[in-house]
Amino acid sequence: MRIEPDTLESKTTGPETGAPEGVRLAIPLARWADRQLEALARDHGLPRLDGATLLGERAANGGFRIGGRVSAGLGGSRLLPTRDGKWFALTLIRDIDRELLPALFGTTDLAVHDDAAIAATTLEHECAELLERGRALGLPVASADESPVSAPVEVIERGEHRARPRGHRLLVVDLSAIWAGPLAGHLLWQAGMEVVKVESRTRPDLIRRDDPSTFDLINQGKANLLVDFASHEEKARLVDLIRRADIVIESSRPRALRHLGIDADALVREVPGLVWLSVTGHGARGEAAGWTGIGNDCGVAGGLSRALARASGRMGYVGDAIADPLTGIVAARSALRALREGHAVRIGLAMSAIANMALAEETGFDPAALEIELRTWGLAVGRPFPPVSRRSLTAAVRPLGADTHRYLAEPAPC
Amino acid sequence: MKPGTRLKSAACDTEVMVIRCAEGTIECGGAPMAEARPADAAPLAADFSAGTLMGKRYVDTEGRYELLCVKPGKGSLSVDGVALVVKDAKPLPASD
Repeated sequence: MRIEPDTLESKTTGPETGAPEGVRLAIPLARWADRQLEALARDHGLPRLDGATLLGERAANGGFRIGGRVSAGLGGSRLLPTRDGKWFALTLIRDIDRELLPALFGTTDLAVHDDAAIAATTLEHECAELLERGRALGLPVASADESPVSAPVEVIERGEHRARPRGHRLLVVDLSAIWAGPLAGHLLWQAGMEVVKVESRTRPDLIRRDDPSTFDLINQGKANLLVDFASHEEKARLVDLIRRADIVIESSRPRALRHLGIDADALVREVPGLVWLSVTGHGARGEAAGWTGIGNDCGVAGGLSRALARASGRMGYVGDAIADPLTGIVAARSALRALREGHAVRIGLAMSAIANMALAEETGFDPAALEIELRTWGLAVGRPFPPVSRRSLTAAVRPLGADTHRYLAEPAPC
Repeated sequence: MKPGTRLKSAACDTEVMVIRCAEGTIECGGAPMAEARPADAAPLAADFSAGTLMGKRYVDTEGRYELLCVKPGKGSLSVDGVALVVKDAKPLPASD
């Protein structure tokens, strides 16, 4: 169904307008997330965490409102109509990304900080053209009508089996940043593992600075290491630590990891039992491995915004960077399953495909409830996010680099 | 030349997307780049053979040129014989 941009101009619906009577506002797919968490508690001994909480706690921390065609919170992602009547999602959160806009639109004549000018220029282009060029440029972009090109979860490399002695405390090296990867690490910490968060001296996880409440919740209890990736010695010690680990989590683009001199596939082949999670926007293999994607645009690429428009008549974002927490949960579950099998494996997780999978599974599970949730969500633009039960910290949040010495000081024994 | 133009190296596999440019000649491996690859490859100049890296942005010191490598190759980039350098990546801020 094509939604005419004109019909979407009314900025906000009043709080009550159009929402079905007596229907509680809820983040769509929270029930799907909750079923995954139920399985994690049942199969792997995690405490019973609430799906709505994990999908909604960042928005609750930030006091977010439902933004419609602008993403919740800082509003870094926007859905824009194109000349051919489609919808293009463009995420701009760094100035360095805005510098790419003249190349995206093929013009020097654009005020790159003027959102109205960006929207007007988008309307002069076809969605597919912008999508292709945006991806070549490394911008997080999506179309509301694309289909994910990768499997949600796929095995990329395999290695040897390792038998772990009873009582062995599993070690997780978490190289990831922002939300999806760190949440996976958090769930593994909830499962009782020792989790070591590694940050780069030049590219630390900025959530610590910009959203400390969320950072603390998903990074509590993790040791913290600061590594200078320009230093061969520090990097060699990190690789030694990885060789002692049971699980590695990273959310770099595959080539960025290779540029850093870390060869995930080789480590998986060499280290028996090592489970390596590669969290990506759109896939860890082929052309999609070079694309970027973050939570909001990946939700669009996974078909959530199109589903929202079908149900409510309004194009918009579903949830808050929803592909992030969905992926974190799937990643943790995939790692725990792989550990049980015991073979070394590198698992690629594609955020857009995971959002798409969750949507498809929820549509199969309870289509009527999902339809009502999407409709209610689509008509709730401007309203605060639904309240969720909040978690409090149960462990310390280690300062940046507090544990570097403890984990990396000693050269590894030969 | 319009930003967004794709240029190919005459001396190697490198392809770039133009982000910003002025009137100078953009080269790779010491040879001018163009939208089409020539039938006969140009020789790779020794001074411009350090290679390009996929996804890296290359700039001149005056900020007049910026090229994004969309396909890597053996040549390195220059404008009118002056080598371009890699622009440092910035971390992502907290929220989108």
